[in-house]
Amino acid sequence: MLGYLLIGLASGAAYALMAVGIVLVYKGSKVLSFAQGEIGAFGMFLAWTLHDRGMPVALAALIGVALAGVLGIVVERYAIRPLEGRPPLAGAVVTLGIALGLTYTEGTIWGFNIKSYPSSVGSASISVGDAVLSTTNLTAMLLAGTTAAGMYFFFSRSRFGLAVLAATADPDVARVLGVPVTRVYRFAWGLGGVLSGLAAVILVPQFGALVPFHQTLFSIRALAGAIIGGLDSVQGAIVGSLIVGVAESLSRGYIGGGGITDLVVFALILSTLLVRPRGLFGARA
Amino acid sequence: MPIAMPSKAFVLSVILVKTTAAMSLNTLVGHAGQMSLGQGAFVGVGAFVAGNLAVRGLPLPIAVAGAAVAGGLVAAGTGLPSLRIRGLQVAVTTLAFGVVAEKFLFGQQWFSGGSAGLMIDRPVPFESDRAMYYVALAALGFAYWVDMRVRGTKAGRAFAAVRDSEERATSFGVEPGPSKLLAYTVSGAVAGVAGSMFIYVVGAGTPSSFDIYLSLNLVAIVIVGGVGSRIGVLASSALLLALPELVPKTIGGLNIDLGRRAPLIAAWLLVVVVVSLPGGLGSLLTRLGNRMFGSTTGSKDASTALADIDPNVIEERARAAAFIRRVPRALSLRMPSPALLEARDVCVRFGGVQALDSVSIEVRRGEVVGLIGANGAGKTTLFNVVGGFAPATGSVRFRGRELLAEADSARSGFGVARTWQQMGLLRAESIETNMLLAQHWLAAYPASLGILGFGAAGRTEAELRRRAAAAMDVFGLTELAGQRVGDLPYGLMRRAEIAAAVSAGPELLMLDEASAGISPEEARGLGDEMLALRDELELTLLVIEHHVPLIARVSDYIYCLESGKLISEGTAAQVTTDPRVVTSFLGRSATVRRAAAVALETA
Repeated sequence: MLGYLLIGLASGAAYALMAVGIVLVYKGSKVLSFAQGEIGAFGMFLAWTLHDRGMPVALAALIGVALAGVLGIVVERYAIRPLEGRPPLAGAVVTLGIALGLTYTEGTIWGFNIKSYPSSVGSASISVGDAVLSTTNLTAMLLAGTTAAGMYFFFSRSRFGLAVLAATADPDVARVLGVPVTRVYRFAWGLGGVLSGLAAVILVPQFGALVPFHQTLFSIRALAGAIIGGLDSVQGAIVGSLIVGVAESLSRGYIGGGGITDLVVFALILSTLLVRPRGLFGARA
Repeated sequence: MPIAMPSKAFVLSVILVKTTAAMSLNTLVGHAGQMSLGQGAFVGVGAFVAGNLAVRGLPLPIAVAGAAVAGGLVAAGTGLPSLRIRGLQVAVTTLAFGVVAEKFLFGQQWFSGGSAGLMIDRPVPFESDRAMYYVALAALGFAYWVDMRVRGTKAGRAFAAVRDSEERATSFGVEPGPSKLLAYTVSGAVAGVAGSMFIYVVGAGTPSSFDIYLSLNLVAIVIVGGVGSRIGVLASSALLLALPELVPKTIGGLNIDLGRRAPLIAAWLLVVVVVSLPGGLGSLLTRLGNRMFGSTTGSKDASTALADIDPNVIEERARAAAFIRRVPRALSLRMPSPALLEARDVCVRFGGVQALDSVSIEVRRGEVVGLIGANGAGKTTLFNVVGGFAPATGSVRFRGRELLAEADSARSGFGVARTWQQMGLLRAESIETNMLLAQHWLAAYPASLGILGFGAAGRTEAELRRRAAAAMDVFGLTELAGQRVGDLPYGLMRRAEIAAAVSAGPELLMLDEASAGISPEEARGLGDEMLALRDELELTLLVIEHHVPLIARVSDYIYCLESGKLISEGTAAQVTTDPRVVTSFLGRSATVRRAAAVALETA
């Protein structure tokens, strides 16, 4: 039991990184992004090439994460910003297209066969009760915790964090008040990309596969976490993702594989939206 | 369309099946503004249900019908959260369902034959690829027809209203939740039909036939085609599905193999289209068509319509007006009743703001009642209370019936219609469509069956069209029937909105700042129009106005609100000279008040 719980928390923490990115992008530009998985994956593919050419694992991964951040900024500039004033559906669809486009671009460049990318933090592991936690698991939890704390201080203490909140609440009023709305959008997507990259660094070694589209499938779990948390709440996204991770781990442990975990994720989203549409921490619509 | 290359009948059939699935998605996205990222899963459900029925020896039509029912039910279940939320979160539900279907449902031995899949033999007389091609073509025709029917009936107008604004939709008498659910159901049913075609065309189905990529590629086809455009979907299918199959893999030794690159191209094309060609291929084709054959719509000069005030048509208009007034309303709603609308002690509180504080008003039958007050006084809030959009305590009775206890969408049936400060019509739709939408409560046939033409849909629609024509005639809009509301000049837009409200056959018409944004001359005309509405159409009017001289001229009685409280009521002369009203409007400067008094007398 404890083992499944801890493993669940560890994968939940990785989803949480992505989910925070989704919430950030949603808060920062009112776009429900389906690209948060594949942006990080693209960074990892670049890292894979660097590592393949002899660069140390951790350094290549770091560069991959940075490139994912740059990719986020590029996406914002050329695909999101032109959509201002269009219905929310346009933003969602464009991110879907980007997820698909990146998937097939990766497939064209690197192929669709499975690649592996080693853990950037070694492969040691410790036993806690009946659970075996790898250093990757521990790093995921540490990163998620750091992100949570960072976001908390960012939104409550920093001027720019407040600017982000203002820009989301009402872009036009924020502009009049001198908030650099464009910079806020760029920042949200850039940080969203970095978080997406970090999630990929954790998830790829943990599940042992670097394949196009794989991270987009993980992003459904992150979307589930974000929705359970309320879509506009950072701490909600983290709690929601942990719930998803634990539910997934428990169902895999006690019921079995074969798509059961996907069924659990689906049931979680459906029941959240039916019972409490604004999620655990979401603002009232 | 006869087959150009019979040897390719099979390939073309598969393309037809996918186009059918894309058309089903178009009905959902284009008309209802809802997104399904799991449409491929609905197709798969249809395929396996039809496959199971076929394996048990049931004939093709029954298998297809079963697939439609299954697809509709599953889509409705997935779209269930749309009853509670407005956002795109439902799209995530459909995406998650797409994954569940692929990884779980389609892997079940009992349902899909497990990972080996399900095999069927084509029944007589459809054994040949060629015969099946025609069946698949008929299925696409069906999907096209359904999409067209949706657009032309009650269901599609309700979808469009919900897509535009759920709040406005209720003011037309449309219930948003059930409308969205119906959209999912119809779309899922047609997707199910596409699935049944798949299993008959291919003869086999495996979990990977209906993976999440299929769902996402269907989205790409619809978006590239131009959301809501049937022709666009066909064009985009031809471009993204047929072209890569038909172009040879090598031309003159050059390896191009479009088929392998098609998904990559489709995905990025999707991004490019959303960013820089929002109307998709459909809008390109329409523009091309207009250039080649001359524009068929929108060529009429709007200003000519206002000029046709020929005295000879007055008699005819009077008849038309009498025709509009004839609506099937319950006897209890037709009894003589001096007080039409009675609001008693209405209170509304938004957080810490008391928007309305114990306001009581009465509107008698056949009166024009003005509602004045500074910005933020609570005038529109009072309208919203009557319309059912603001949480209120107290009592609002219409012909003695308590409105606060009724569903928001029931108002239009009782005979209450309103206009909005910011345009209540659907800008993207024609005047006529808006007229028909406004008569939603009169379309007594079931929306779902109406799509298929059952339930007296044809007769009712014809009747609604006659009523719409009469209303357009009365308001001099006949020439502009096909014009998009968004393309009209502002004054005409306002006129169309009033005409639409009137076409619903209301007894009480509430106008929210009808004179806002129109010129002083037009405003003068508006006053006469209000009196005409009262006298010729026997309407009772409750009017919010900032233009005090205008309202003073036409009102039988005026209420003045300030910060949520009623500060004055009476005849125009009483209210406009009431010191509290004057102060509320003009402040305490003596000069301003003298100037205003002069302005009022000369108006």
